[in-house]
Amino acid sequence: MQVVSIQVAFGFLLASLGLLAPLVLIASRTKRARAFAITLIVGSNVVGWFVAALCFWGESKLALTFSGFTPFPFALGLDRLSAFFLLLICTVAVPVAIFAVSYFDKHYGEQRRNWIWAFFSLFLLSMITVVTASTGFAFLVGWELMTLLSAGLILMEGDSAERRHNVFIYLLMMHAGAAAVVASFFLFLPYSHSLDFAGIRAASPVVPAGIRVLIFLLAFVGFGTKAGIIPLHLWLPRAHPIAPSPASALMSGVMLKTAVYGFVRFAFDFLGGGPSWFGYVVLVAGAVSGLLGVLYAIAEHDLKRLLAYHSVENIGIIYLGLGTSLVFLANHAPVLAALALIAALLHTLNHALFKSLLFLGAGAISNATHTVDLEELGGLQRRMPVTGTAFLIACCSIVGLPLFNGFISEWLTFRSFLAGSVLLNTKAQIVLPLMVGVLALIGGLAAACFVKVFGVAFLGRPRSSEAEHAVEAPLLMRGGMTMLAAACLLIGILPGVLLRPLASLTQVLIPGAGVPDETVSIARIIPWIAAIILGVTAITALTTRVQRMAPTWGCGLSQLTSRMQYTSTAFSKPIRFVFSSVYKPDRKLDKLPTDKPYFPVSISYRSVRTTSYEKALYRPFVDLIVSAAHQLRRLQTGNIQVYLLYIFLTLVALLTFLRFQR
Amino acid sequence: MGLVAIATGKFLSSFSVFLFLTVLLMVVARRISTSVLLFSLQSAIITAEVFAMGVREKLAAAYVVGALVLLIKVIAIPYAFFRLVDRLKSPRDVKASTTPTQSVFIAGAMIYLSYAAVHSFGQTVHVPEDALAAAVALILTGSFLMVSRKKALMQMLGLLVLENGIFLAALITTFGMPLVIEIGIFFDILVGLLLMGIFTFRIRDTFDHLDVSKLRRLRG
Amino acid sequence: MTTVINVLQALILVLGAPLVSGIVSKIKAWIQRRQGASIWRPYIEIAKLFRKEDLVPPSASWVFRFAPKVLFGTTICAVAFVPVVHPSALLASRGDFFFLVYVLALGRFFLSLGALDGGSAFGGMGASREALVSTLAEAPFLLGLVAISILAAHADIAGMVMWTLQRNVFDISAVHILAFTSLAMVVLAETGRMPVDNPTTHLELTMIHEGMVLEYSGPSLALVEWASAVKLHALLALLISLFGPWGMASTVSVWGTGAALLLYLAKVTVLMILLALVESVVAKLRMYLVPDFLGVAAAVSALAVIFTTLVKG
Repeated sequence: MQVVSIQVAFGFLLASLGLLAPLVLIASRTKRARAFAITLIVGSNVVGWFVAALCFWGESKLALTFSGFTPFPFALGLDRLSAFFLLLICTVAVPVAIFAVSYFDKHYGEQRRNWIWAFFSLFLLSMITVVTASTGFAFLVGWELMTLLSAGLILMEGDSAERRHNVFIYLLMMHAGAAAVVASFFLFLPYSHSLDFAGIRAASPVVPAGIRVLIFLLAFVGFGTKAGIIPLHLWLPRAHPIAPSPASALMSGVMLKTAVYGFVRFAFDFLGGGPSWFGYVVLVAGAVSGLLGVLYAIAEHDLKRLLAYHSVENIGIIYLGLGTSLVFLANHAPVLAALALIAALLHTLNHALFKSLLFLGAGAISNATHTVDLEELGGLQRRMPVTGTAFLIACCSIVGLPLFNGFISEWLTFRSFLAGSVLLNTKAQIVLPLMVGVLALIGGLAAACFVKVFGVAFLGRPRSSEAEHAVEAPLLMRGGMTMLAAACLLIGILPGVLLRPLASLTQVLIPGAGVPDETVSIARIIPWIAAIILGVTAITALTTRVQRMAPTWGCGLSQLTSRMQYTSTAFSKPIRFVFSSVYKPDRKLDKLPTDKPYFPVSISYRSVRTTSYEKALYRPFVDLIVSAAHQLRRLQTGNIQVYLLYIFLTLVALLTFLRFQR
Repeated sequence: MGLVAIATGKFLSSFSVFLFLTVLLMVVARRISTSVLLFSLQSAIITAEVFAMGVREKLAAAYVVGALVLLIKVIAIPYAFFRLVDRLKSPRDVKASTTPTQSVFIAGAMIYLSYAAVHSFGQTVHVPEDALAAAVALILTGSFLMVSRKKALMQMLGLLVLENGIFLAALITTFGMPLVIEIGIFFDILVGLLLMGIFTFRIRDTFDHLDVSKLRRLRG
Repeated sequence: MTTVINVLQALILVLGAPLVSGIVSKIKAWIQRRQGASIWRPYIEIAKLFRKEDLVPPSASWVFRFAPKVLFGTTICAVAFVPVVHPSALLASRGDFFFLVYVLALGRFFLSLGALDGGSAFGGMGASREALVSTLAEAPFLLGLVAISILAAHADIAGMVMWTLQRNVFDISAVHILAFTSLAMVVLAETGRMPVDNPTTHLELTMIHEGMVLEYSGPSLALVEWASAVKLHALLALLISLFGPWGMASTVSVWGTGAALLLYLAKVTVLMILLALVESVVAKLRMYLVPDFLGVAAAVSALAVIFTTLVKG
């Protein structure tokens, strides 16, 4: 009975996102129809959340086969891993959709609004297809749709040459990545004879070692492109900031996670680990992405680009956990491998929550001030208290401060690094504990960056008249953000709710893994810490006396202006200075008029980062392709006889091939 | 007696660890006088080791050597250096060609290398492992100091650190060389230092600085 | 009974903290051949500030008002991880050192935000510099503790202290010396002491911590000052319990605890004299030399971690 009702509920989710809602939106332009469609989207995601929760916390499983209707085997199913990611998608989708109601209403006309909602709905469906697919074909269909629909959402926002260029780069890199994913699926084919996940899993032990390496590397590159690990991240800071904020929230918060899902599926479920260098490759990729991602983020003052770079950083942290898990797996330490995998998966969920909250916050800011440039903001906390507080919670979470959810997963990652010292392998004994330092540096830089973001955008005095006259976001926007902020706090203070099912999830993926002690101990201590901190803070807050308003002392000047505050650029200057070898900045100081340098009328200063992956890594590759294309152009003579000759030659060649094959 | 033997044995192995610290501090020191002070400290630790060795092996000659080390390396040479720095009136900076962080990493790598190298055959030879590793590390970092510092004075100091390492290695592996040879080595060092001191003055008088990287102009 | 001792330890750390700052400045005064203020002066100052009026800039939000309280709350929470006279503390056997470091980071995060909320240039300057220092101090702080915890095969501070207690002084290894060096450097940076920050200056070119708290007054300032005194005391006590815990009462008895307390006072006095000496002898580093200082600390702590593989065999 329960199985049937779950199947019906899941079918309802697919049908309403894939058919009902888009059809209603496209067919009818009335307000009521749209309201119905939006309710359908939100409602079906709530239903989806319960389905996922039943499969994640409970023992339920689910399988739906559509192979009768499709040319290739197409089936969806929910095991614990899929249920976890479905849970993630639905948890984020509901608040984002609620936020989007007032955001889309404000930003788009009647005509475009329906289309964007239809895309939104289909985009959600494509991501759900990816994480619930149980055949390779279904996975790849979802994977392609996801790319195309997100590109569509970006183009909905506007149309300019620059935007089209960015979308082009996005699509190009996505398809290169997708090619690698397709190839890694097809490499299984000679051994499994079908792309059914169960078949692949069963066939995986007979795949020879060389092919396994190839599959792993292709999956690493393919999913790495989607996840945005450095140096495959090029598209991420271009594509994410230019999408509408709710779409950015979904792209950064959820779409990147499907790549993590794919990688976990391949590396753990299909391949079951491998030699320890697999782990080190992932570990190094994670460390580089984490460090460079946060360093690039700190130099930004466009809020959405900054957040996009932080996605690179957080993907790096997730990959640190995955890499550690692979190292442990190769060293036959299943319990520790489970610990690291739990850390990575939990960070995936946490990042989905706080990153989408941050992007929604950016949306609320741009809604109120029409800009996301930090240098134009300031003083928003007093004007938008709910948005500000939700944003602050997200900042604390992403930095990994205790009492917030980011800390739980970072702590688990730290502990799995520390556990590396018990392995019998000297390389692991040295490398893993040293990674504590790398993650600490990443965390420290992230803290600096978010002090800057929150301090400059929300605190102090407003730096422009738009910021001065900002008003609080509308009710639905606040509602969406509050839901996500509550989720961050809930996981931060009561992590046990998620850690127990995650432990049983890893037991499926990693044979022989027990429940790591750390997952139990953190759930025990966090409430104590919360009690002490909140208790002492509350006592001091209650006992201190009333405060009086008094202007800040202006060092003798009559009035402080907002131009005297530290700006975002000034705040990050010391860090940019220390890490200048990473940025290799090209600084330019122009004083006008040039003949009187000591009495300037205007001074302009520019500092551009010159380290570029385009130049060093991509340019030779692109040149190669372009020159190959030029060579191929010779085939295109325009002469019809020559084309006939091609056909004739092909025919002859095929026949010859057939003759000699016998 | 047993207690004393255990204590000296422990002392020999654990206090050589402090030698690592002096070495690490030396590569980050920015002033010549700090480096000289650290060298003096380093020699004092070695003196203590010599005395400990004397107690353990009941060697009277060790006390003489110890006293000589104390006199020459802990007191005389640092004093001479301070006088030299004073008289030369050159800037007090060591002029390193690596940043402190890089230096520490390089010195650390060398300490690790020496430790790992000694570790691999330490079980077969019955010598205190830590102390032998410290000796090798002193030799390596002494050379590193000579390579990476541009001041002539610092190259003398690097040589002295290197010599400290050789002395310690000899002490650990052979339980002290014959007294005559020890004294001979000391005189070698003293004469060498004297010559280098004179050269330093010459360099200063001829070029008005002590930066040996600028001696390239002498090339024909 | 253990709980009573643990609460007592926390009280020693919190209530004794102003005395530690007072004694350090007294020793510094002696070194400079001055009479110096009374060692009880920090108590008087905090009491005076609590009676004064609390001023808030008109542009400030609740973040400004709450930052000192959160800072104080987190500092108190950090104290619950530090053993003093007994190898245990309120939370030391339940949680590990990562909690200690990150709970302190939470307080610092809020204090930096409070500084930016004041809306003056000084707050931003202090917060920006503090961001640099704390960013670079975090890695050596954790790595130094990681090295000790690998040797002790315990991640909780109580276990680490217990392990050291069972060894004797001559068993110190390269790891201990390296870890102590890096942690001592980190403590100087974290508590805003001399080569990194000058706790007595109000000169805008040099100040870090003082720049951040410039807008605070009255009870808020008292909380901030008290919290930073507690932080200094707690970190000194952490150094003592990790690197020289000998003499701690391993069994629960009144006499043992009393003796351990006296010994603790002696040890903390030695550290205070060392701190005062360092502060009097060493000149403050230029802002952009601080990364070199902390880079050295990071390198030394990384070495400590690498050396654990050799020391363990």
